[in-house]
Amino acid sequence: MLLLKGNGLYKTRKFKKPIYIGDPINAVKIFSEKEVDEIALLDIDASLKKTIPNYQLIEDIASECFVPLTYGGGVSSIEQFKTVLSLGVEKIAINSALFLDNNLVEESASIFGKQSIVASIDVRKRFWTYSAYTHGGKVRVKMSLSQVLDNLKSKQIGEILLNSIDNDGTMEGYDLDLIEKVSSNATVPVTACGGCSDINNFRDALKHGASAVAAGSLFVFKGSRNAVLINYPSQSMLNESVFSTL
Amino acid sequence: MNCVLDKSVSGISFDGFGVCNYCNNYKKNLPQMSNLHSSDDLDKLVSDIKEAGKGKDYDCLIGLSGGVDSSYLAYFAVGKLGLRPLTVHFDNGWNSSLATENVNKLVTSLKLELRTYVIDWEEFRDIQLAYLKASVVDIEVPTDHFIMAVMHKYAHENKIKYILNGCNTSSESIMPKEWNFVKEDLANLIDIHQKFGERKLKRFPNFGLKQRLYFQYILGIKQIYPLNYIPYHIEEAKAFLAKEFGWQDHGGKHYESVWTRFYQGYILPKKFKIDKRKAHYSSLILSGQMDRKTALELLKEEPYPVKIQNQDVEYITRKLGLSEESFEKIMKSEPVSHLKFKTEYPHIECWTKVFQIAEEFIFYFFRPLKALGYIKYKVGSILKYFKIVS
Amino acid sequence: MYPDVTIVDLGCSNLRSIQKILNRVGSSAFVTSDPQEISTAKKLVLPGVGSFDHAVKQLKQNHLLDSLNYSVLKRKVPILGICLGAQLMSQLSDEGSESGLGWFDFKTISFQTNTFNTLKVPHMGWQEIQIKRKSNLFNNTQDGTRFYFLHSFHFSNDKLDDITATTNYGYNFPVAFERDNIFGVQFHPEKSGRNGIRFMENFTKI
Repeated sequence: MLLLKGNGLYKTRKFKKPIYIGDPINAVKIFSEKEVDEIALLDIDASLKKTIPNYQLIEDIASECFVPLTYGGGVSSIEQFKTVLSLGVEKIAINSALFLDNNLVEESASIFGKQSIVASIDVRKRFWTYSAYTHGGKVRVKMSLSQVLDNLKSKQIGEILLNSIDNDGTMEGYDLDLIEKVSSNATVPVTACGGCSDINNFRDALKHGASAVAAGSLFVFKGSRNAVLINYPSQSMLNESVFSTL
Repeated sequence: MNCVLDKSVSGISFDGFGVCNYCNNYKKNLPQMSNLHSSDDLDKLVSDIKEAGKGKDYDCLIGLSGGVDSSYLAYFAVGKLGLRPLTVHFDNGWNSSLATENVNKLVTSLKLELRTYVIDWEEFRDIQLAYLKASVVDIEVPTDHFIMAVMHKYAHENKIKYILNGCNTSSESIMPKEWNFVKEDLANLIDIHQKFGERKLKRFPNFGLKQRLYFQYILGIKQIYPLNYIPYHIEEAKAFLAKEFGWQDHGGKHYESVWTRFYQGYILPKKFKIDKRKAHYSSLILSGQMDRKTALELLKEEPYPVKIQNQDVEYITRKLGLSEESFEKIMKSEPVSHLKFKTEYPHIECWTKVFQIAEEFIFYFFRPLKALGYIKYKVGSILKYFKIVS
Repeated sequence: MYPDVTIVDLGCSNLRSIQKILNRVGSSAFVTSDPQEISTAKKLVLPGVGSFDHAVKQLKQNHLLDSLNYSVLKRKVPILGICLGAQLMSQLSDEGSESGLGWFDFKTISFQTNTFNTLKVPHMGWQEIQIKRKSNLFNNTQDGTRFYFLHSFHFSNDKLDDITATTNYGYNFPVAFERDNIFGVQFHPEKSGRNGIRFMENFTKI
């Protein structure tokens, strides 16, 4: 999970305090060479600042990516959907636009297929209940999380990307209750994100119903001082620690 | 044994035996270099480092790029000398996947404390573009400059007095002066950027003459080259690192950075007609690590595969935001000397000497016996020079 | 100067990635929806992301059916269908009502979620393939090599001779087929890292 802010890559903690990670093009090139399963690139400013996707930057980044790439941030029309996909992106993550009164999801699905649409849901716990948020965690969605998930069942989406705002950047483990709640309610694959501190956490999230797991801090920081260093476990490490135990 | 530098190297001359001035200088300085760095000297140095680091989190600082020299240095410092380094990795936006893997493996295996400095890419790109457009030879100055700035800054922040550097005479004793420029010449960097850059530099770390004199002589932070104290053999070092840590070779000196690989393997040979491999292999020949025949065979090949060079052209021009035409224009433009721009060059030598003398004076002022010994040594050297004594 | 590979633009696919991977393996690649250029192409790639009916309508609207049939069936130009592009080579699809190119006898069918009700669709992620018979596209590729999949429908098991690889997602189904100059794969080689690069390199050598 890589976060774009302007032209730079950043890492947040609970969706705040962005730390500069570096040039996104080189970071994606390195991850692609390390054969990560998939890269999700989310522009965290786009919805807030109401900007359109930075097509040139997306194209430059996608040129170095030979693994699946998902892009999210500021996509709110069919034209933007089509343009971003044509730049070398497999899937588009939609967050704020999911809750607008439009046919974006249906129209995109009919042309590009539902597998190209990811519903990105950012969740924070508020008075012991989970709520969905948009605009970088700043605007609370009025309906309950259960209602949000029920609504999604009728939409033509391929996947849910579930972000825990509370656990984001903390490296204290995934929010397993949240993952279980959402996965048991979903008919599409759920990718869990937020809080992963080491690869053993992947196993826990998968056992709680996630179809896939994502991490940000784990793959860009190293050591006790959180030095920026791109790293990714080898396939054999993943097989040993995660897949063989499932 | 003779090196592989040829007539194309400016400043080169050959004696009656066909031996170049670089080889002759190396042989002349060899006894002095070997005597300076005995194992007693190394023990003394380690003892000084440990003493200076007592009660502190770290006793030295090592810049870790993932290349062979810094990787072996990290192992040597921790595994053999028992030091407690703070390792620093520098990300100038051109890191290779292999470099990050090597750093990762070393940090994990040696349980190193790591900090990373990530340069602001937008600013750094602007500086690199300025250097390309200025057509000056040493386009690595911006990287080397900020690395020195940050190493000294982190050393000071962590109360570290010793920076360990992986540079070594074994593989780097030969380097024609015209192929590089002074890395800490801040005036030169600023002038080149002002004339060809587009953005204001707000975050670029400075390490000009003033900063260097301050860190080195006022704060007393020293740069040490431990690999010069041991018989350092590059191929043996690579094999050892591969076996112990799973370290992987990048295929060329400094090729752990995509940019450096491109600069040394494409820009320098094609635009400046400089092949740095000649200097590197010459150093290896003179230190007995390579024979001349092998060096000449290797020099016949491309610095690195043409297919990768073409991929690099595409990647680098895209990352720098250069069109094909602009890049072609840069490659075809005539090289320009660094000295055509403002420079601190005349002041660097002069002020460094002043501070060196001042430091020695202060050192010996409080140590009269040592001062006497030093004077005796200096007088002896002068008498030997004029052949008054043998 | 003709490009090495012509990529057919159906207006609903990830063309840039295909172009990039072909460039990476040293081939020039050109994207077009012009029937003339397709009729004279040296080699073709038919990518596809999206819905079956929409893709077929695009083929018809751009008058590409004749030029594709001409190049592939008459001139025997090598063609690689990727994902939906490969599905288009079948007779028909459960996803829509249009007919496919019909170059192969199999159909494109839905995942059997009635029988395998824990199966989540789309099938999305990296999966190992089992190579069923020798193919130039799988040179230097072992059984169990991973490729990236992203699809909601798959090839049926009808014409076993043409099948070169299968995978298991809930159950076994074909993921690669070929006959003479026509090749189709369900996975995305342009997004399968080094394995995909090797695969595309093999295609450019045909």
